[in-house]
Amino acid sequence: MTAEATDIPAIEGPKQRGFLRALLTSPNGAIGLAIVALLVLAALTASWVAPYDPLRMAAGPRLQPPSLDHWMGTDDFGRDVLSRILYGARLTLQIGVIAVGISLTSGLLLGLVAGYASGWVERILMRLVDVLFSFTEIVIALSCLAIFGVGLTNAMIAIGIASIPFYARVTHSVVLVEKNKPYFEGAVSVGAGHLRLIFVHLLPNVVPTLIVVGTLGVSTAVLAAAGLSFLGLGAQPPQPEWGFMLSASRDLISRAPWMMIFPGLAIAITVLGFNLLGDGVREVLDPRQRER
Amino acid sequence: MTRIVMGLLKPALIGAFALYAGGAAAKDLVWARYGDIDSLDPHRATSTLSMQVWDQVYDTLLAFDENGNPRPNLAKSWTVSDDGLVYTFKLHDGIKCHDGTPFDANDVKFTVDRAFGDNPSLTKTSWGPITKAQVVDPLTVRITMSSRFGAFLPFLGDSFSSMVCDSNTADTFGSSTAIGTGPFKLVNWTKGDEVVLAKNPDYHNYGKPVENSGPPHIDRLIVRTVPEPQTRLAALRTGEVQVAEPPFDDIPAIKKEGKLKIVVAKNTGQNVFWEFTISRPPFNDIRARKAVAYATDPQMAIDIIYGGLNQREWCPIARGVFGNDQDFCKQYGYTYNPDKAKALLKEMGYGPDNPLKTTMFVWTGGNRHKLAEIFQSQLAQVGVEAQIEIMDIGTMNARVKAQNEDKTSPEAGTFDMMTWSWYDPDILYQLWHSPGAYSGFQTPELDKLLEKTRTTIDKAERLKAVHAVIKYLMENAAHIGLYTPGWEWVFAVQPEVKGFKVGAFLHPMFQDVTIE
Amino acid sequence: MIRFILQRLVAAAVTIWIATIAVTILIHLVPGDPVRIMYGSFQTTPEELDAIRTRLGLDQPIWIQYLYYIERLFHGDLGRSIVGDQPVLDILLTRFPATLELTLASLAIAIVVGMSLGFYAAYKRGTWIDAGSMVLAIVGVSMPHFWLGLLLLFLFALKLNWLSVAGGDWKSLILPAMTLGLANAAVLARLTRSAMIDIFDQDFVRTARAKGLPKTLVLYRHALRSGLVPIVAMLGLQFAYLMGGAIVVENVFAWNGVGRLAIEAVFARDYPLIQGFILFFATVVAMASVVVDVAYAFLDPRIRYS
Repeated sequence: MTAEATDIPAIEGPKQRGFLRALLTSPNGAIGLAIVALLVLAALTASWVAPYDPLRMAAGPRLQPPSLDHWMGTDDFGRDVLSRILYGARLTLQIGVIAVGISLTSGLLLGLVAGYASGWVERILMRLVDVLFSFTEIVIALSCLAIFGVGLTNAMIAIGIASIPFYARVTHSVVLVEKNKPYFEGAVSVGAGHLRLIFVHLLPNVVPTLIVVGTLGVSTAVLAAAGLSFLGLGAQPPQPEWGFMLSASRDLISRAPWMMIFPGLAIAITVLGFNLLGDGVREVLDPRQRER
Repeated sequence: MTRIVMGLLKPALIGAFALYAGGAAAKDLVWARYGDIDSLDPHRATSTLSMQVWDQVYDTLLAFDENGNPRPNLAKSWTVSDDGLVYTFKLHDGIKCHDGTPFDANDVKFTVDRAFGDNPSLTKTSWGPITKAQVVDPLTVRITMSSRFGAFLPFLGDSFSSMVCDSNTADTFGSSTAIGTGPFKLVNWTKGDEVVLAKNPDYHNYGKPVENSGPPHIDRLIVRTVPEPQTRLAALRTGEVQVAEPPFDDIPAIKKEGKLKIVVAKNTGQNVFWEFTISRPPFNDIRARKAVAYATDPQMAIDIIYGGLNQREWCPIARGVFGNDQDFCKQYGYTYNPDKAKALLKEMGYGPDNPLKTTMFVWTGGNRHKLAEIFQSQLAQVGVEAQIEIMDIGTMNARVKAQNEDKTSPEAGTFDMMTWSWYDPDILYQLWHSPGAYSGFQTPELDKLLEKTRTTIDKAERLKAVHAVIKYLMENAAHIGLYTPGWEWVFAVQPEVKGFKVGAFLHPMFQDVTIE
Repeated sequence: MIRFILQRLVAAAVTIWIATIAVTILIHLVPGDPVRIMYGSFQTTPEELDAIRTRLGLDQPIWIQYLYYIERLFHGDLGRSIVGDQPVLDILLTRFPATLELTLASLAIAIVVGMSLGFYAAYKRGTWIDAGSMVLAIVGVSMPHFWLGLLLLFLFALKLNWLSVAGGDWKSLILPAMTLGLANAAVLARLTRSAMIDIFDQDFVRTARAKGLPKTLVLYRHALRSGLVPIVAMLGLQFAYLMGGAIVVENVFAWNGVGRLAIEAVFARDYPLIQGFILFFATVVAMASVVVDVAYAFLDPRIRYS
């Protein structure tokens, strides 16, 4: 195939077709993608694949270790652990997408405006962001839950809100770097308006970093939600959310260790998957980092 | 940092001491519980966890024997006026408060006045309609009521009426100081961690059902907070803790091992029951309340979660409390019948395409969250979608009250698995006589029936009055008994600990305890 | 230098000031009547609730409440808890040392394990030691630390009976510190490795090696000291994360610190305690940041003048 002018990309960044391929060549990206794909598959097909109804008590005898009937054993109500893990994948995906969605869009907007505006607007906004950031995400999430009450939906929103400072800061630093680049200065001197500068020039160059950070952010959100559910502040009975399942296993660690092992493993593998995927995406989008 | 240093020194010192003194080392008993006390002030808390520590630090005018009947304790005798409104108590001579000051009628007056004062006791109404407390002479105190109150004498045996010495005037009272006349003195309270108590060498027992009438045999009682059942089990196994509530699912294994003793308290007076938000749909309609009662099977739930350690309770008051009668109550009870539940819901317009949505409040502890999940599942089978909300008891009390007082909210009314432990059927008056503890179900007829239980002194007549109230509550599906006991009634005890007893209404007693 | 320290202190003060505003607003965001939610249990009548409302000053407009709050703050009065009616500041100060113990012990473990691993991996870069360490690190980063805690509890306390966690002495610190520390060690390992690789590639290291200086001298005197700089910068962040992580770990091991207190307070809707906790937490983290920034400025004089 011969190269033509139209093949040259208009902006900095890899071509769409090559992205997936590049991702798959890095070990991080490949494994990460595989794990995430598995998670999505589990979430989508849970209703067909799961051997039992995850909410059905006495699907088997209580507190059974893993067996042929119940590959991951049963819990203290006789519910099948494997089915609950599969349905839990759905909840996990929801949490990741919604929480990151909230924090990414809000943080992006905040960082763009602050970075672009500069002057006192930037200083005030970023000072506020820094203060919120120093509270740490868990304290912000706890405050939100203290005000609005507990539950999985509230926990997702709380985590979303709690991560806004992080995304705002990342966006802000990228914007600062991009503002110094020739293409931006060129656009300014040509007389482009504010909105055009922000959305047509800055935004597309901020996006790659945000994709990396967002992917890694899903793992943070999943961990945070599991943590809140573990504390009893997130998912409520009988939801088969993995953090909540871990919390229910605490009384029974010595009697039924499988109740503790499988949900924890599920969380760890999911988080690992998104971490590896994030690392892989970073390698592809930012080749300078590839050496590491 | 001092803690780590002390932590290193302590075992070294204790080890050395034990080696030389060989047995004369301090005899400490560590008791681990799932939660901490809320306050050392008997007027500022209502939790069982708090009460059990007040039992050790304070004493009461009367005391309950093993069967829950009140008898003399700090008060050696009393008389009641003919109209039933004036009680005169004569106190024992020579009782000392922990700070050395004498315990006399002034301390009784101080306690009563304080309960009714500017920052009144949370259990003020349980004292009854007291108008004044007078010191007649140092050993005689007179209490006057504005109307007859049959539950007054039993109340004086309960820890909420603990006698607080009048030297408790510092504002650290309740948080770091507490002066009483009980078998143990307060050393310190580290909130969330432990309460350290030391034996009171001047203690004399007059009415509690223990064999040792003098000071405790052990030197110190340390009440520690260990919320995780597995951690308590681990601590029992390593010997760090001598008495603790074990995880329920491990009890058969513990019994089989044969090392730790399992002590099950009787006559706890604890009642776990359904109650409903009456001010709005769906539970303003008796059919919805009955549907919940028919749809849930407490017997199955407690068999799964507690093994044989728990019993079905048909009455709104628990076994061991005056007026309890399983056969009587069962007549008005709602035996598990999901078809009946479905029929009632259908009448109301609910069905498989229109489930009844509501929320079930449950408070933490006692594995109640697990029962809640079973009930949730049973309710789902008849078409009731109940979300579970678990919270601590203080919050639940407030929210139940808020729900009842909200007549206009568009959200469905809630119901809850409430628990109360009380030594007398007077609890029914406190819960259901208008305005009601939670502003819940109330009617003028019920008020009249309840008033009769309060003002009737004759036992046989009072029994009839109490039964009338029980019948009314159950026929109206306002207070539906589920099971008893409800929390903390099982103890695992190290084999070298002898003499550990749990008195009626869940009051662990340590005066007889010796450690071999 | 003094100017730098003052700058940092002012920044910390601003953070704390904003925290007080946030905390005052918090109670008013609660849907419903906060007094009823906090005190309306069992037998309180509407009149008693009104009396409480006046006593707490909650019937005043919000900016007056804020001024009262600040005034009480200067007297060290953070209000009284709803559960048990005790001074909030006393409760926090009593339980904070336990959290500090846990955080510092975990930090120590994280530094020792994480930095050694990262350093070694950077040194042996490209070999299987490097790859293996980094696999370990990324697994460590992905593990929920409450799960790690449960696993360690299961293994060491229940199965092997080596360690127990009842009682607040140093023995029961081991498991929670290991849990929190190892989780953070993984993060530190990755950071250290990146920082060290940067250093090893730098000219001055190559110059030192070319001069013939012994490897160990080069490593420790030159590389490590410079490598420490970005890591110290991260330590401030790490401290904040550790404090946040302590909240969950304290819960798993029933370690009696302020983290566990915060969770209990959220469940109990003990708003005075929650407010006190947030303010306290923000203050501690702000102060820690000042300390770390000053330490960073000592190590890297360029920072003082930026």
